[in-house]
Amino acid sequence: MAGKKKLKLQIITPQKQVLDKEVDFIALPAYNGEMGVLPGHVQYVAKLNYGVLRYKDGNTQEEFAIMGGLAEIAHDVVSVFAEDAALAEEIDEAEAKQKLAQAKASLSSHDADIDMELAEMELKKALLMLKVKNKKTKF
Amino acid sequence: MESLRDIRQEIKSIKSTKQMMLTMKMISSARIKKAQQQMEDGRPFAKKMAVMIDNLRKDIQNPSSEIHNLPAYRFFDNSSTDKNSVALVLITADKGLCGAFNAVALRAALKWVRENDEKEKYIFVIGKKGRDFLRRLKVPRLHLAGELIGIFPRASYAHAAMIKDTLFELSQKYNISRVDLIYNDFKSMASQSLISKTFLPFNFNEIPGEEDLSDFIFEPSMLDIFLTLLPRYLSASVYRFLLESQAAELAARMNAMEAASKNAGDIVDKLSVKLNKVRQATITNEITEIVSGANAINN
Repeated sequence: MAGKKKLKLQIITPQKQVLDKEVDFIALPAYNGEMGVLPGHVQYVAKLNYGVLRYKDGNTQEEFAIMGGLAEIAHDVVSVFAEDAALAEEIDEAEAKQKLAQAKASLSSHDADIDMELAEMELKKALLMLKVKNKKTKF
Repeated sequence: MESLRDIRQEIKSIKSTKQMMLTMKMISSARIKKAQQQMEDGRPFAKKMAVMIDNLRKDIQNPSSEIHNLPAYRFFDNSSTDKNSVALVLITADKGLCGAFNAVALRAALKWVRENDEKEKYIFVIGKKGRDFLRRLKVPRLHLAGELIGIFPRASYAHAAMIKDTLFELSQKYNISRVDLIYNDFKSMASQSLISKTFLPFNFNEIPGEEDLSDFIFEPSMLDIFLTLLPRYLSASVYRFLLESQAAELAARMNAMEAASKNAGDIVDKLSVKLNKVRQATITNEITEIVSGANAINN
């Protein structure tokens, strides 16, 4: 593989840098459909959907759940700015389900102490997490 | 003269207060490391968002750009003539016992209210101390537009996003031309400084431009990218302010508690000296009484 060009993939969320890695190929959940990126790609800024980001490095392939955002491609550096991101394999299905149930419960409880908007965001996140997880198992 | 028992009681109570202060200091110093880490982790995102906004500067400032027709353009328009409504984001703490931390922020807020006396004022307040203060404040044309209580020491990006949403709503509903910001900046463990500045409209001079996005292809369109970028940039900025204030609060509390427990130690020392004197005096008294009693019998 000597001399083969690689892409640098950075996944950055407001909380922290999730990933910084050299990879061969990336598929982004772009707004108008999935978009593949190989080394030497033209300079590009794309809006991202809620969806799955895949990347391939040699023989390993991994998936991330991406909660919307932007991707910038410049000089073989792909920077993904997402609201939140999670490695599909690290998503705990039971935990996501529990969070989903929790969010639903707090949304329907009408308790003044509960932060409605926060609960709604949690709900959306839990749904995507489950979606990504289930999609993965279907392959 | 105080009795021995009274003094012992006092020493005991001061010692237990001191113990509490030391505990609070330790809690703060344990949390501050986490708060600092959180600030560090959030930096790449905020920085990149700012750089990307800056890269769109040419498009934003281009008078024929579609951005000028957007309601969001007001965040970049420095020439707005309608200055009748202003907003303030005030970040304080939920709890006291952190030195002048809340006092300086509230003083600055009061100054801001006076300066904008004639205008419609909308305040978004974070922290119980600030909210209670503003509720007591009876000033005409002052509106409490939103409050966020009990988020420290676990301020998250979701909170920042909520503040951003409220600001967006407010600015459209009430035609707000300027959003100011008051918070405590975390300089170091030993010092915090109050920041009172204009948050919006956007000041391009604050961020150094790095690369140029003019060669880029945008998908779906530059306008869409701009609309995606802007809320994220604002949230990331607000998030940073929250984290700064959070770390500053912990640092302030740490210092205040350290000073207080030192003072408590001094008082205990003084009381111990007093206790010993009183005890000595009592003993001397008793001896004198016994000796004089014995003398009386002998005579």
